[in-house]
Amino acid sequence: MARLFERRLVPADSPAAIMATTSAAFLAAMLAAAFLFVSYDASPFQAYYALFHEPFATLRGFGYSLVRASPLALIALGTIVSWRSGFSYLGFEGCFVVGAAAAGWVALLTAQGAAIGPIPFILFLPLAILAAYLAGGAWAGIVGLVRARLGGNEVLISLMSNYVAIFILQYLVSGPLRAPGSLPESRLFPKGSWLPFILPGTRAHAGILIAIAAAGIVWVLLKKMPLGYEFIVTGFSPSAARYAGIDVGRRLLLASFFAGGLGGVAGLTEALGSQHRLMDGISGGVGFVGIVVALLARLNPLAVIPTALLYGGMSVGADAMQRRASIPSSITFILQSLAVLLVLAFDVLRYYKINFDFRRGTPSSTAPQVSE
Amino acid sequence: MKDFLEMRNIVKRFPGVVANNRVNLTIRAGEIHALLGENGAGKSTLMQILYGFHSMDSGEIRMDGKQIRLDSPKDAIALGIGMVHQEFMLVRPFTVVENTVLGMREGRGPLLDLEQASRKLQELSNRHGLALDPAARVGSLPIGVQQRVEILKLLYRDASLLILDEPTAVLTPQEKDQLFAILRKLKQDGRSVVIVTHKLKEIMECADRVTVMRDGQVVATREVRETSEHELTRLMVGRDVNLRAIKPERKPGAAVLQVKDLRVEDESGREKVCGLSLEVHAGEILGVAGVDGNGQSELAEALLHLRRIEGGQVIVNGADVTSRSVAEHRAGGISYVPADRRRVGSVPEMSVADNAILGQQRKYVRGLFRDLDEARKSAEKLTARFGIRGSGIDQGAGKLSGGNLQKLILGREILRGSAVLVVEQPTRGLDVGAVESVWQELIRARQEGKAILLISAELDELLNLADRIAVMFEGRIMGIVDAVAASVEVIGLMMAGIRPAGAANTGATMKEAPSGETV
Repeated sequence: MARLFERRLVPADSPAAIMATTSAAFLAAMLAAAFLFVSYDASPFQAYYALFHEPFATLRGFGYSLVRASPLALIALGTIVSWRSGFSYLGFEGCFVVGAAAAGWVALLTAQGAAIGPIPFILFLPLAILAAYLAGGAWAGIVGLVRARLGGNEVLISLMSNYVAIFILQYLVSGPLRAPGSLPESRLFPKGSWLPFILPGTRAHAGILIAIAAAGIVWVLLKKMPLGYEFIVTGFSPSAARYAGIDVGRRLLLASFFAGGLGGVAGLTEALGSQHRLMDGISGGVGFVGIVVALLARLNPLAVIPTALLYGGMSVGADAMQRRASIPSSITFILQSLAVLLVLAFDVLRYYKINFDFRRGTPSSTAPQVSE
Repeated sequence: MKDFLEMRNIVKRFPGVVANNRVNLTIRAGEIHALLGENGAGKSTLMQILYGFHSMDSGEIRMDGKQIRLDSPKDAIALGIGMVHQEFMLVRPFTVVENTVLGMREGRGPLLDLEQASRKLQELSNRHGLALDPAARVGSLPIGVQQRVEILKLLYRDASLLILDEPTAVLTPQEKDQLFAILRKLKQDGRSVVIVTHKLKEIMECADRVTVMRDGQVVATREVRETSEHELTRLMVGRDVNLRAIKPERKPGAAVLQVKDLRVEDESGREKVCGLSLEVHAGEILGVAGVDGNGQSELAEALLHLRRIEGGQVIVNGADVTSRSVAEHRAGGISYVPADRRRVGSVPEMSVADNAILGQQRKYVRGLFRDLDEARKSAEKLTARFGIRGSGIDQGAGKLSGGNLQKLILGREILRGSAVLVVEQPTRGLDVGAVESVWQELIRARQEGKAILLISAELDELLNLADRIAVMFEGRIMGIVDAVAASVEVIGLMMAGIRPAGAANTGATMKEAPSGETV
């Protein structure tokens, strides 16, 4: 009973197989979305050209892609740390907000005549990163503590904690940090606290460098350090972790702190890199999109930067597409969602192999084995 | 005797494997037929086809010469084919009669007529010597009796073919004898019984014919009185296996592990180990026998501090280690091979190399980083030394066979070089070849002077490996006997909670040993 597609017992998990199914999923998503373009009487080719030309083939657009990619990548990295440790954290929106607030607060303190006053950027940046990291880490750490000590459900608690963080920021920008007389937002941060622009003629800022460094650090942590090994064992099997002498509760707590800190730094890049002030709604859902980026990158820290760039670039391209081909930018959102769904769904393909000999009626060589 | 049921040329494929490859099996009316084979030989698949759980890819099943179709267990039951699964399918808070009529319409109209069902049950129970009270709550019955309820359920549905999957796994030797007596009665009644098992002794004891499966095919069908354990082993494994462990003489050394008056509770706060004391000497294997669930697992976990110790002391080499953490135990002192290989002893998703350092992840470190070279080297050494077959140390540990995975875990724990080795159910679910090599490694560790606490539900294993055997019942040690002098009967009685007069009494709990308490 030879068939063209033969089922494997275990999925093919070589990098090539993963790349192939992921690309196939992406192409399938683009194909499906093409029909949406047709319904607007637009040529799918022109639309896709607009979608990808601006963010990846123009300097200005690429700058914007980098701006969008930085917080996405950092949140995706946080997701990787927490999820691989078995901590299903969904509160990155909150970490982002408290991180932005902490970084912004430090920035405002370095204004002329404020508590700290102007200090060199080389001193300011570590201070701001520390503040954002601690804020985000503590924010997620609370949830980690509840889970580790009391056995609470981190999914629910972290989701709800997002709203609390957003309301705290709302309070800050309409109360203590409000700039006099204007909208509910803070003063502009002093120029000396802005992340430097790295590509002349664009808005691209050093946040992407922070994200790249963080990707390296997360990769080293998970792959090369004993703590990372313990995180991963804990994530796969808490009972095996306990057996191996790993303090599961403490590892969960630590993982939630690390992950939340990365979310906090994501808030820092947005506040100090592109908004330069604190305002209500600064997060705008990055905390969730970042999780999607991590899933698309298959929880691999090294794949996060290109994935975030692709994802961020597509949202930049969406605006260009709307301008150039008058197609609603929300179609891009549909395309992105399709891509995520199909990439996850196409995993099933890795369970099959193509049997080129099927016409001859011989099952391929590996088939007739017996096991339980 | 005439053929009652016939399975012809049964083929069943699962993705990538042929679980049953043109299997033929005939069952006669009024016989006990054993289906023998290692794990993965295809015997469960075959029985699940017969019970309507799986559909077959090709082949035919005939009953009394007529071809039958089995699309679901319902069809099977309607045709008089019933199955007792390894895990009983009983509703614990229900009574025996309620469990029996479950899924049937009894009585007229919308109301259940339990009265009438009870009478019929009582009659059936008496006729077959099941000794069951229809009004008893199932949850309060011992395992062996629950099994009889399962059998009674099938008789109530007038099953003429009863399939029992590994029926003796959870029974004491005495309960086993009772079961066999019942099966013989069923046979006299003209019913057919199939027992699926890998235990040769039991086949020799109660079956009429035996069909041996290997690699999805039937190797042979034999009359039991014309075959021997030796021949069956060879048929099952495909080669000669010597399942007698040769244990060199060895004088035990000083007491290395001392447990004094240990008390441990389970999650719900019930005391599972109730003031247990024992000693294991260097170069000695102390076997712990007992029916599953009498506190053996809790004892092992408590020794490692994986479970809280409520009272008592654990002493290793004279030092009190009662309050040490798991990590401290792992750093030196006690090694542990847990019963659950795939959920506790290893992380199947990780590589063999990563699993080889599980528990020692802080040892293979250079500066801040993991010393991957050193870890890989030790993994290579481990796989070579213990003959772990697979496609290398980068392979996922979950892809190893049960036997190779067990060798990986056992080897890792032995090579850690701690003085005490706690081993729990080391050969559960392993095939004969793997059992043999696990036994060899345990004996080798004993020769190297380790103090080994071997917890096992397999009496054969204990009689072969242990120097002394302690029998646990309801959290206490009923008695400790020398393995050389031990008789299965005495151990069996103690497993059932009965202390025979002649057994050696050791430990504090034994002082009150009453002489009047006999069978």
